[in-house]
Amino acid sequence: MARRERVASTRRAFTALGTAPGTALGPAQPPPLESLFDTAPESWLALQGVAVADLERLAQLAIGFSPRVSLEPDAVLLEVRGSFRLFGGARALCTQVLARCREAGLAPRWSLAPTPLAALVLSRAGRGVAVLARDRLVGALAPLPIAVLGWPPAALARLESIGVRTLGAAQRLPRAGFARRFGPAAMADLDRLTGLCPEPRRAHVPRERFRTRRDPSFEADTAAVVLRETEPLLIELEDFLRARQCGIDLLMLRLSHRARDAEQGRAAIPLHTQLDLRLAASEHRAATFAALLAEHLARTVLPAPVTRLELRSGRLRSVVAGSAALWRPGEHGGGLARESPALIERLRARLGHDAVYGLCLVPQHRPESAWRIAEPALPSASRVAETPARSGSVRRPLWLLREPAPLPWPFTTLQRLEGPERLETGWWDGLDIARDYYIACEPSGAEVWVYRERLPPHAWWLHGVFG
Amino acid sequence: MRTDSADGIPRGTPITGLDGLLMHPAIWRGRSLAPIDTHATGCARLDEALPGRGWPATGLTEILTRRPGLGELRLLVPWLVALGRTQPPRWVSWISPPFEPYAPALVAEGVPAERQLVIRTDRPLWALEQTLDSGACCLALAWPDAGAPRGRSRVRPRDLRRLQLITQRHRAPAFLFRPLEAACEASPAELRISFEPQPAGARLQLLKSRGGRREPFELRWDEWHRGGSRGADVRQEPSHGAP
Repeated sequence: MARRERVASTRRAFTALGTAPGTALGPAQPPPLESLFDTAPESWLALQGVAVADLERLAQLAIGFSPRVSLEPDAVLLEVRGSFRLFGGARALCTQVLARCREAGLAPRWSLAPTPLAALVLSRAGRGVAVLARDRLVGALAPLPIAVLGWPPAALARLESIGVRTLGAAQRLPRAGFARRFGPAAMADLDRLTGLCPEPRRAHVPRERFRTRRDPSFEADTAAVVLRETEPLLIELEDFLRARQCGIDLLMLRLSHRARDAEQGRAAIPLHTQLDLRLAASEHRAATFAALLAEHLARTVLPAPVTRLELRSGRLRSVVAGSAALWRPGEHGGGLARESPALIERLRARLGHDAVYGLCLVPQHRPESAWRIAEPALPSASRVAETPARSGSVRRPLWLLREPAPLPWPFTTLQRLEGPERLETGWWDGLDIARDYYIACEPSGAEVWVYRERLPPHAWWLHGVFG
Repeated sequence: MRTDSADGIPRGTPITGLDGLLMHPAIWRGRSLAPIDTHATGCARLDEALPGRGWPATGLTEILTRRPGLGELRLLVPWLVALGRTQPPRWVSWISPPFEPYAPALVAEGVPAERQLVIRTDRPLWALEQTLDSGACCLALAWPDAGAPRGRSRVRPRDLRRLQLITQRHRAPAFLFRPLEAACEASPAELRISFEPQPAGARLQLLKSRGGRREPFELRWDEWHRGGSRGADVRQEPSHGAP
């Protein structure tokens, strides 16, 4: 927890500037010249008008300019008064913030005001103005339409019916009557606008990543040594994740190798090996990471001894820690939430991503297109997975050859059992077929699925086996 | 025999020593010999022939054929259908199958395609070990000799013993489909069956089993409880020569 330093006592000049005992230290620093003429303890910069998906990126960027950043539903607010001195004044700071936004490909509307709500309202109204002094605030807000407050339409309609169309007009109404008619919440909004009523903001906590590195005391040249050297980092990672009750689904290990020797004909080039561990479900246990890394390392060829290990995590995802099962997985109806992804991860880590797949039905008449490889995913337990047997349909072989093969037996030894079944066309995706399929019995007694092409040269092909 | 209604021990039985005490019906002994847990095969004649009247629910089973795809998979289809209905859903893993499992045919038989997990690897035994170890699979089917030179088995008895111990530990069934040449090699599998296709049926023999029928026996697909009737209709009429 960061300790916020407070002002214990002030000289009279500073008190006049709005610095009182108990305010945060930031505003109480010896002020630059420009702030001698204003009287606000805070200055809020509102950045608005970017896509909602970009807000978090904007907040991340804003943290470089102020420690007090708050993420609003449609904007990012940052208190910049404490940063004026460091960045050389309000104008220089705003210029730098906007330049940084432009670099990141964002073009927010902005405005600067002594209260957070006023800054928001000004930027919503599209006024790129900087109001530093509190006494200038009321004048800057007065011409804005009342709709910028985002009140419910009914309240806005009633205000309009009594001729109140701007913030200034609303603020001139008698307070008691306004509070009675529109509720204390609306009154408090107006007070927050001008700073009569304080408005604390929830601080934005930047997204965390885990990153650490380690230089082994000797050069690690085998996978086993690398793994052993990585284990302390993994345990550190587990502690990090456990403290935040989070898991990760991406882990990157970067191995730096000893620079290649100069006498081998080239200048010394630092080499890196990058291992990316992608997990099917978020995970936080060091043992799991170690097991998966071992599989990855077993497949990786180290071009040179490793001199540095660097571990980085992907974004943190919250996990709900489950209790350990009494039964073995799958036994006595035990759940499989973790075992099934773990199995697929382990197999894929060793065998490669494409070696493990599920099956999926495709509504297509051509035999090759009637199924495809699918990402393995078990149906959830709650769904009743009752596959009705479609007994009325034509017989299909349990095994399909990946590519039709020429008949391995003499044609005359086959005995026809069923057929022909004519399967045709498919011109729309370039796989045009014209075939007559037969179920036949081959010499040894097994049933096979063969077809004859209807176009010359009328070749016979084996396509499936009724295994 | 009259029994005492209070404790169920036959009257007049002298209760002496430990054996006498253990006769009490309320005492259940964990290590006592229990009939093995099996699943019905879907064919009455095959049920009769197998020890425990069905496919073993635990342990290693080998099915030996001259080459893959002669009809041996059809033996397991009723069980695959039954496994497709269990909750919570678990995988049926197919490790290095010789061809592609054809989803339309599986679904037509009632086997859910989304519970099948296909693993293509040149290290089938490692993959089999992983699937059994994970507990996420209710049945593992493996073709460990895929890609091996003809007549040579790639599987060593030591590996099989290891797999057998894993199936015992995890109470999981594993089926290995192996070439007929492997019949002369020793194997720790609990059940070894040789499979020979015949017109409209198959000829099976238990090469190794704990009980069950010794002599070879024949199955007809039309005795099969599902999907057999249609096949039988076709085969009853003499075929019209070569297609």
